[in-house]
Amino acid sequence: MFKPKSECQKVKGMLSPYIDRQLTSSEQGLVEAHLERCEACCRELESLRAVVNLVHRMPLVSPPRSFAVAEVAPKRRAVPVAVFSAATAVAVLLLAFFFVSDALNLFALEVPVEEQFREEVLMIDEAPDVVGAAGAGYETVENWPFWQLEVAFAALVVVLGALTIIWWRRSKAVEIAVKS
Amino acid sequence: MEEGDLILRSKEGDLDAFNQLVEKYQREVYNLARRMLGEAPAAEDATQEAFISAFRGIGKFRGGNFRAWLLSIVANACRDQMRFWRRRPTTSLDALVLEPEADRDAQSPEDYALRRELGEKIANALATLPTDQRLAVILYDIEGLSYEEIAQVMNSSLGTVRSRLSRARARLRQYLGQRMELLP
Repeated sequence: MFKPKSECQKVKGMLSPYIDRQLTSSEQGLVEAHLERCEACCRELESLRAVVNLVHRMPLVSPPRSFAVAEVAPKRRAVPVAVFSAATAVAVLLLAFFFVSDALNLFALEVPVEEQFREEVLMIDEAPDVVGAAGAGYETVENWPFWQLEVAFAALVVVLGALTIIWWRRSKAVEIAVKS
Repeated sequence: MEEGDLILRSKEGDLDAFNQLVEKYQREVYNLARRMLGEAPAAEDATQEAFISAFRGIGKFRGGNFRAWLLSIVANACRDQMRFWRRRPTTSLDALVLEPEADRDAQSPEDYALRRELGEKIANALATLPTDQRLAVILYDIEGLSYEEIAQVMNSSLGTVRSRLSRARARLRQYLGQRMELLP
């Protein structure tokens, strides 16, 4: 009796889940109907079932010792690295803020010039406290020591960044030591 | 104490409660690691690391099948170790053979020898399978997990589990069929 090769191939692919009863009812019906007329697939099923039964006979062995956890050291990387990372990030943001403020004169103030000193101020080309042209009777002054703040925060970013890297590398070394 | 209570207490940091879970599951976890990795020392390391990771990460366990969650941890550890070994192949097939346990009924030396020989053939056959197919066979045919549990352990669909088992068994049949009589 002619059986289309494709049907045998299709059924052979379903024999494993058929053994495990993992087919839908329609798939199961298809397989069982085919097995009734195909000796080759029946033999295939029996040999596959024999393999499954063999593997099922492999026993579980007792573990050689107890794997109870004695104590679990807390992960060292969490606190110092996270703290230094956060501090570095904050310092970088503040540094960026000061750079931008300085560039845009965000905190420059216009203060009234005393009348008696007005002419003297206007005649001086480089008055250290005058940063820009002001309206009549006013001068623009910088009330924040920006460049000092920029230098200080740049140094802080470098120090905190270095500490972050050092702590991160130390925590990595501990992790590798525990695993090896 | 119920498993659910042990898990809740473990989440609160109760190591004694967690170790009761270890006692319950260590045989399955160790057997999975042993069958996957072959070498006893590597399997012991993977098992211990899996339980430590499980205790540290138990806060992330949101309920469901704890056994599957635990086995997924050790399965991932085994996969990582096997990936590492592939770069430096050192595992001998002999290491995959496990000594059969003594039965409660005293078995004859002949029975013991037969079981050992059978175990050796099956272990050698398992060693020829790709990692995920080997894992699927161990979980279903040796550890007795359901398809749904295996899907959870392997983080895959039921269809993928079905396909991996099917291919694995076809390979096992081909390997074993060349070396022994499968049918009477």
